[in-house]
Amino acid sequence: MIRVLVADDSRVMRQIVVRTLRQAGYDWQVREAANGAEALEAVREDEPDVVLSDWNMPEMTGIELLRRLRAEGFETPFGFVTSEGSAEMRETADEAGALFLIAKPFTAESFREVIEPVLA
Amino acid sequence: MTVTTVDTDQVLAIAEAVFSAMVDGDAGLLLPWYGELPEAVEPLCAWVDLHGEVAGRAALVCELDTAHELARALLMMGPQEPIGESDLVDAFGEIANVVGGNIKSLLPVQGSLGLPQVALGTAPAVDAPVAEELRLSWRGQPIVISIWLVA
Repeated sequence: MIRVLVADDSRVMRQIVVRTLRQAGYDWQVREAANGAEALEAVREDEPDVVLSDWNMPEMTGIELLRRLRAEGFETPFGFVTSEGSAEMRETADEAGALFLIAKPFTAESFREVIEPVLA
Repeated sequence: MTVTTVDTDQVLAIAEAVFSAMVDGDAGLLLPWYGELPEAVEPLCAWVDLHGEVAGRAALVCELDTAHELARALLMMGPQEPIGESDLVDAFGEIANVVGGNIKSLLPVQGSLGLPQVALGTAPAVDAPVAEELRLSWRGQPIVISIWLVA
């Protein structure tokens, strides 16, 4: 079973992300982190198969988390789930090594559209 | 100081997308509000600030009871289920965050977005002109999205 780490400072949004994963047909094992720093610790302790992270979080942002993970040698597949989906942010995410960026609001279908190619 | 505007139809499209995907699971429950707004009794406001070359604020204001209903809908709770204050603040703030994030994407210059804040009352004053005030009806209850922008 795929193990995913969901990082978002909103507990409600983490719940919605997990619910949407299930609706999209991904019955993954889920761990949660409330900010980038918590997510970094969680990856160091037990690297998941994929990280789904918000961008704008206190303590450590999603992009800082991704850069830190890559700097520490973690190649964990990483995707953003964020309220900002501008071309500039997508480019920044891509350059840092993110596989995809899902813009909020999202649907189960938009999850499948970006996750299926990665699983394939 | 340059006043920056956003297109009403684009803001409405953002609001409709947010509500249909996150809150209602279906389109058509968020509509434009026609006529005068009733006087707010116990308003709750959620907002995010935009920082950078184009700065401002995006805020969502509705009655406290409406915010409870919004949070219950977001969390797929039953109509009478009580909702805790932290979940209410989290859910209502997240709606403002997603609306604000999408509005930021419309701007010609990209800055950064602050974290969502929630407080009783109407939107706190901000040192920028109103770029848009969108009056909406969600399941018959008024919701106002206000955007202030300055470049």
